[in-house]
Amino acid sequence: MTDELALMAKRFRRDVFDFKTRSGYGHLASSLSCVDILVSLYLDPRTDFDHTRDVLIFGKGHGGPAVYPILAELGYFPRGELALYCHPDGILRLHPDGGIPGCEFLGGSLGNGIGYAAGRALARPDTRFWVLLGDAELYEGSVWESLLFISHHSLRNLGIIVDRNGLGILGFTEELLRLNPLAAKFESFGFTVTQCSGHSIDELAAALTLRDDQVHVVIAETIKGKGVSFMENLAEYHTIIPRDDDRISRGREELS
Amino acid sequence: MTAQRDVFLTELRQLAENNPDIVLLSADMGAPALDEWREKLPQQFFATGISEQNTINVAAGLAASGKTPVVYFMASWVARCFEQIRYSCALQGLPVTILGNGVGFGYAPAGPAHEPTEDLAYMRSISGVEIWSPVTSDQVVALARLTMEMPALRYIRLERSLPSGWDATSSAAPLVAPDQHENIPPMRLLGERVSAPDVTLVASGYSLGRAQVLRESLIDDGVSVNVLDLTRVKPLDVEALRLSIQGSQALVTIEEHFLSGGLGAAIAEFVCDWRLSVPLLRIGVPDRYSFENGNREERLALNGMSHERIRDRVRHFLADLP
Repeated sequence: MTDELALMAKRFRRDVFDFKTRSGYGHLASSLSCVDILVSLYLDPRTDFDHTRDVLIFGKGHGGPAVYPILAELGYFPRGELALYCHPDGILRLHPDGGIPGCEFLGGSLGNGIGYAAGRALARPDTRFWVLLGDAELYEGSVWESLLFISHHSLRNLGIIVDRNGLGILGFTEELLRLNPLAAKFESFGFTVTQCSGHSIDELAAALTLRDDQVHVVIAETIKGKGVSFMENLAEYHTIIPRDDDRISRGREELS
Repeated sequence: MTAQRDVFLTELRQLAENNPDIVLLSADMGAPALDEWREKLPQQFFATGISEQNTINVAAGLAASGKTPVVYFMASWVARCFEQIRYSCALQGLPVTILGNGVGFGYAPAGPAHEPTEDLAYMRSISGVEIWSPVTSDQVVALARLTMEMPALRYIRLERSLPSGWDATSSAAPLVAPDQHENIPPMRLLGERVSAPDVTLVASGYSLGRAQVLRESLIDDGVSVNVLDLTRVKPLDVEALRLSIQGSQALVTIEEHFLSGGLGAAIAEFVCDWRLSVPLLRIGVPDRYSFENGNREERLALNGMSHERIRDRVRHFLADLP
């Protein structure tokens, strides 16, 4: 099953690469880093997420389009919509929002999804919530306000995932403005922290579980631009989408 | 006088006792009525600490889960969480009630950090938000009921004191038939209605005291006057507004707020959009931050808004009319 899910993730990455390069809009590299995390949540029965009743909220909404191929696979909308991403005739937008089947909350403003998720989880203890944060999103002070609140209220039905790709727009987080020791920061707030590879289906399966006696943060170590060698781990690709035929075909090849 | 915050919280708490979905979030702001709420409804109260951004985001999440959240902090701090009000609430159409305590110079002598003179401007700029500026306890009670009966994204600007010059005996005529809003019409005429008056004074909240005192002076001058309480500053009820100022020879707005983006600006936009040819004088706080010492009335006087100064300005304005 692990191999099968890894293959699916690769296929979804190619879908994302295709609709981003076709349209030229959005944040391709940030979307590629979180595809495995999303596959693990939505498609791996070992993780604590049932998409028919639980809720995923994007803090890093700019990476949200990574979920579109998965939602198409699960039947939320026809796969044909992927080709209409950001097109006036399509329903899939650059940042996901509640108007898109299978999506809740909205993307585009960092540091807010986690507080919203806290309110949701507080009011609905019978539902499981996950929120996906970017690591550079952690610079928003509102995130830490929300962490205090989540820890104080022991919101065990809310799992926090950090997509730790190590990059902001201007470069590496550890060079720009240090986040480490990151796990220790969450631990000092009272969270149980699990660190794992954000590209290992098996490690994600073990990490993405909720326990009744803990509040959870999962730090998923990822690679920005994952799967496209010339994009991987390069800050400049935050906003750049390959446009020339040569790099587009190389990217597609590597993701096939 | 019981402070508006206590009137609101007491009324809403009584409603909340039979409605577990009503929840109160305080960003470390207290009130006697809030203490009572904490004691009687601890499950429906959340202390969020001095964290306005998280408070609004949590409220948005609660609202999305079917709760009716009410957030309570100082009116100054809506600026602190403007993005969260816009992004997490307005963009998603979520019904969060925001109680902003102490508008204008209400916290004097605390100084401009605690004295918002721009809150109407930024809150008016958000689409889908209702803005209310009550003056009487009856209005505040009605707004508490409205919060439960018709939850919406709503900014309620609470006064800390009764207006100087406030005439509680003055009659009040609602300008729309009480509909689903029950006892809280968006605007009303205070005192006896004059048809085709020389001037209509438009104000809300604390500034209504100035309008009432001014009316008496102008009547002594032989000027006929209507006083309009624009309780709901947004959205304007344009039909009711048109009817209420019909035939009026001039308009004067009075607000404890900068002229840019406030109540006077809303009326100026209305006059312009409806192609009304009626002279308009806007009286408000000068475009500067006021660091002078003084209580609310002293600060208003230092900012050209004493009763007397307003009277003189309006007299000149009316005398200069063609």
